Amino acid sequence: MNNKKKKDQAVNEFNQVMKPISLWADAWKRLRKNKMAFVSLIIVGLYTIISLGAPLLTQAGIIYDYKEQNINNATLPPSFRPAGDLVIAKMESRISQLEEAVKEKEQTQQDSGYSASSGFDFGTVPETEGGEVSPQENGEAAQDAEIGTTTTDSDYIDPNVTFSLDFGGHGIDTASADPLVRELNFQKENLEKIKSEMDTDPSYKKVYIFGTDDLGRDLLSRTIYGGRISIMIGLVGTLTAALVGILFGAIAGYMGGWLDNVMMRFVDIMYGLPYMLIVIIIMAFVGEKARGNFAILFVAIALVSWLTIARVVRGQIISLKNSEFVEAARSMGASTWRIITKHLLPNTLGIIIVYSTMLMPSFIMNESFLSFLGLGVSAPEASWGTLVSEGVKAMEFSSWQLLAPSIAMTLFLFCMNFLGDGLRDALDPQSKNRT
Amino acid sequence: MSRYIIRRVLSLIPTLFVIVTLSFFLIRLAPGGPFAREKDVPEIILQNLMKRYHMDEPLGKQYLRYLGDVLRWDLGPSYRYRDLTVNEMIDQGFPVSMELGAISLVVAVIFGVLVGIIAALKQNRWPDYLAESIAVVGISVPLFVLGPVLQLFVGLQWKILPMGQWTSVHGWKALILPTITLSAPYFAYIARLSRASILEVLRSDYIRTARAKGLKESVVVRRHVLKGAMLPVVSYLGPAFSGIVTGSTVVESVFLIPGIGRPFVQAAINRDYTLIMGEVIVFSLILVLANLVVDIVYGFLDPRISYK
Repeated sequence: MNNKKKKDQAVNEFNQVMKPISLWADAWKRLRKNKMAFVSLIIVGLYTIISLGAPLLTQAGIIYDYKEQNINNATLPPSFRPAGDLVIAKMESRISQLEEAVKEKEQTQQDSGYSASSGFDFGTVPETEGGEVSPQENGEAAQDAEIGTTTTDSDYIDPNVTFSLDFGGHGIDTASADPLVRELNFQKENLEKIKSEMDTDPSYKKVYIFGTDDLGRDLLSRTIYGGRISIMIGLVGTLTAALVGILFGAIAGYMGGWLDNVMMRFVDIMYGLPYMLIVIIIMAFVGEKARGNFAILFVAIALVSWLTIARVVRGQIISLKNSEFVEAARSMGASTWRIITKHLLPNTLGIIIVYSTMLMPSFIMNESFLSFLGLGVSAPEASWGTLVSEGVKAMEFSSWQLLAPSIAMTLFLFCMNFLGDGLRDALDPQSKNRT
Repeated sequence: MSRYIIRRVLSLIPTLFVIVTLSFFLIRLAPGGPFAREKDVPEIILQNLMKRYHMDEPLGKQYLRYLGDVLRWDLGPSYRYRDLTVNEMIDQGFPVSMELGAISLVVAVIFGVLVGIIAALKQNRWPDYLAESIAVVGISVPLFVLGPVLQLFVGLQWKILPMGQWTSVHGWKALILPTITLSAPYFAYIARLSRASILEVLRSDYIRTARAKGLKESVVVRRHVLKGAMLPVVSYLGPAFSGIVTGSTVVESVFLIPGIGRPFVQAAINRDYTLIMGEVIVFSLILVLANLVVDIVYGFLDPRISYK
């Protein structure tokens, strides 16, 4: 029954059916053999699916809204436990720290301790005149707990000044004179409040596996949404750059002569420009408002990224344009446009794909570079660059804010680079050992 | 050769001209002047300011004036920092930036070539794979991630090295982290580049001849392989240097280094027109001169290239 079919198929000298292998099937086979590249392909695919489906994931409640602020859950470390547990654990450790400090002070009775506004370190100031600050009773200080939320005011008060104030007749206020005790009482009261709200407030049930930032926003969803914008800008920018580069290179290569000369001199001059500086200038001068418009961002970057692709495509077209199949097409009356699009470009597609894959990580890096400097994506939108730059500001006390977006971004770039290498080896086997 | 050098130097002029012109008009066309603040300046003061900085003249005249000033290497006053001229700011930062850039480039080249040689000679054995992994990591990690992460672990948590600032404060130790950060991607790229070109040279006929003569392997590598294999590395030095110059803006911001990169970013945010243009001109000069030097060195190293 398939005799007839067999006749149409290619047969080798032993009369066995040969399956024709296209360039793409061959390349796919080679890519699959390259384990690192294949794993990278899967990871890149995962990133793409997650960032494309991010709004759906939010709707389904799998990840939280990346803009939603939960001030109670601010600065929580990455964990699989619900936020409420972490908040309580954080406050309890703070309270025990405070209690220890108060106890220490009671014991020595010589030094007066003070806590920094954020209360992360305890320094002791040597008492200058041997004055004593009497330990306060908790009950008295409780009423001042509300005021005690910001201890900044007392930070700047010299112990001696406080001392003299005590004598100045502010008898009731002595309770709040010691910021340590004030904060301790405030924390204790707050802990009770939170414990009572634990079951009613749904925000304490949230689980933040990447932790939260200073405003209590979920870092996981911020990383995903940041990646969404970074990848989108990378993708659109790469497509734009590739299109411009292909068109430019193809026309220059095919036409040749003076046109080629002029076009390539132009590319040479553009190459000489310190392009990142030009992009910085463009971004600086379009102003804050227009910066929210991603179009400007990727146009600014794409403006200079097409140069390499134009050069590569031109080289390929020049080497192909005198081949027999182009001559055949021309002899049959094909137009220039048709020859370029139907005959020349498909033959350069492999190398175009390879260079585009290589272009994308550099695009993402450039976008994040600008965002890091404060010249790219602006709040409330976030890209990996802005997340990293926010993380840098907070890294001293909450390093996860820096590490989470950094690792996510680096992994993606790493995979893109491996994938690019793998694709080059697969599509262009001759250049196997070239970088 | 000397004719080539002269021609090459002359060809710099149009490039620099294009850069100055482009940045001048880009900046003047942008909305919002340097004196646009949140609080409106009274009309008469604004007029005086405009007059003081010659901004009331027609654009063409301003442009010619600026060109003339640049030719005399007078980059004008800074619009934001009233007490400083752009020349002064650049004079202050330039040596620092050059020091950082030069050290980073040297480190990248030395270690990159070293790793490349080891990887090529041990091809497809574990040193090769290790070098390849390090190289891909180096290329994939952006400067602005590597810098802060190094600061976090080495500077903040382990307290081995200072987190920032320059040699005037911390001595030579302050150099280490910024240099690692700035040179990492170029180190990685040079390692891959030299590995690939060494592998190619190792297969060539003259290496077989050298081995057939009975030369020691170390002599073959040093005298024959490296000479041929270093050409792609030399031609990459131009782009590497330009990348290091651009990257120094971020590294200087992260590590608080008083070079010319940090004022550039600040000027871009502050719209300090003259400072930006001055910085762009200095950066472009560095880049263009670096490329020139690389091209000339390349010509001396590779006698096959003819300049006609």
